[in-house]
Amino acid sequence: MGRSMSQISFQSVSRVFRRGSEEILAVADVSLEVADREFVAIVGPSGCGKTTLLRMAAGLDFPSSGSVLVGAREVAEPGPDRAVVFQQFALFPWKTVRENIGFGLKCRGVPAAQRNAAVDRYIEMMGLQGHENAYPHQLSGGMQQRVAIARSYALEPEVLLMDEPFGALDAQTRIEMQEELIRLARVNPRTVLFITHAVEEAVYLADRVAVMTRRPGRLAEIIDVAPVRRAEAWEERPIEEVMDLGSFTHLRTRIWKMLRDEREAKAEAPRVTPLQRRKAGP
Amino acid sequence: MHIGATTDSRSYRRAVAAGRARMASAGRRPWIGAATVLGLAILWYVLTTATGAVSPARFPRPADVWSAALQLTLRGYAGGTLWLQIWYSSRLVLLGFLVAAATGVPLGLLMGMSRRAEALINPAFLLIRPIPPLAWIPLAIVWFGLGDAAKIFVIWFAAFVPALINTYTGVRTLDRTLIAAARVHGASERQILTEVMIPGALPLIFTGLRLSLQASWTTLVAAELVGAFFGLGRVLIIAAQDIYPGMIAFAMALVAILGALMTGCLGLLERWAVPWRRT
Repeated sequence: MGRSMSQISFQSVSRVFRRGSEEILAVADVSLEVADREFVAIVGPSGCGKTTLLRMAAGLDFPSSGSVLVGAREVAEPGPDRAVVFQQFALFPWKTVRENIGFGLKCRGVPAAQRNAAVDRYIEMMGLQGHENAYPHQLSGGMQQRVAIARSYALEPEVLLMDEPFGALDAQTRIEMQEELIRLARVNPRTVLFITHAVEEAVYLADRVAVMTRRPGRLAEIIDVAPVRRAEAWEERPIEEVMDLGSFTHLRTRIWKMLRDEREAKAEAPRVTPLQRRKAGP
Repeated sequence: MHIGATTDSRSYRRAVAAGRARMASAGRRPWIGAATVLGLAILWYVLTTATGAVSPARFPRPADVWSAALQLTLRGYAGGTLWLQIWYSSRLVLLGFLVAAATGVPLGLLMGMSRRAEALINPAFLLIRPIPPLAWIPLAIVWFGLGDAAKIFVIWFAAFVPALINTYTGVRTLDRTLIAAARVHGASERQILTEVMIPGALPLIFTGLRLSLQASWTTLVAAELVGAFFGLGRVLIIAAQDIYPGMIAFAMALVAILGALMTGCLGLLERWAVPWRRT
């Protein structure tokens, strides 16, 4: 597969949910390409359909129209080539740290010896030494999410899908995890689709930030962060320093304003979606 | 990262310490329980023997129960000695319980996993469920006679329901995100069953099995009261005919002790099978 080819491709994707007799347009005509080894973050107000986009890439949900391709193939079902990190960690409470991290490899039928070696590598990479045999409920939230990230990375998937992975963590742990993820992305680069509502997090982590509008969710704009990051060597600096840079605050403020303009525009115009209009007709 | 690691291990240690404290307070409880039992025993002795406030014809004295115990153990009563009667009852309870567990748990899993299986089984289940298990005894006798098969059938019927309902609930109340997590990490349908649904439902499965076991004992005694050649229920009904309160009390105590022993064994099995719940 050529490197120029995009790993994840949303092609005019719309998603309509039915709630009783009501039809709700959650995602409206979104087209987005994520290149191989690229880190793309999607930000937007809650309920804008960003998680729905991720679930469609994962094969946990499907578009009402348009198509979602991962690695040039249309997504038909979940698969280990697209591991998901969930906001609520979703670790198996009955498995130890070691068993949780090895879960995907076990499902794939990797022999125990080989599996253990891989698990050891990720335990070390995520700083989980000493907790190998703990159960998830014995760990703090930050540690649990480290385990969940290790579980996904251990599969060496083509694509990592992260659904507000740090949303349930406290501010301090969150910053640690963001740094950790940058470090991980450097030693083990993957194609990442990252959902968040935290603008700073998106700017700090992503090569490109896609900004979505309120429901029905459309792509408002895509902001290229990578050139700035490379030029100023963000990855070499501690997070608090990066977040203080003029270029960082500039990008962050730009996205904030975009989200606010969007909010105000919506407040003025009556919120009529094409579907509702059609239903209101004779 | 290093700061994170230390605070995390600290919170882990705190959780372990809290677990120990909980175990310590649980460790005190047996003493309180023992004191209560001792107090009741003294009260029993005082009321029946020391003061004679309660007539031994109505309520046996400790000495009456002791002589009944000796009689049953050494000479036998109601057609057999202590061990024979215990063997008969325990065997039937275990058989009925095992058949109930072996049918109720898989059927509960099936109903929890598949909407179609649920739609198929649930109506029949809802129709039969309001009938008290003991009401099946006459039909069981007509079908199977007074032998073991009738009793196993009735026990199965009583014990099957809690095993099925709790297993089903265990699967249905499982966090759907965990199933999604298993699927996105490559689990097959079979692996979802063995790695996620069964372990996830296990705590409730054990709750169901405990209720099943209790139902098994209740039903067995009732079935033996109606008609049996041996067993603790048979001892009870003969002792009632003989107006022998000492023996009635002893047989009741035996049923209680055996039931508690089996529940205890099930608890040990649960501790072994559900290790993540221990701390």
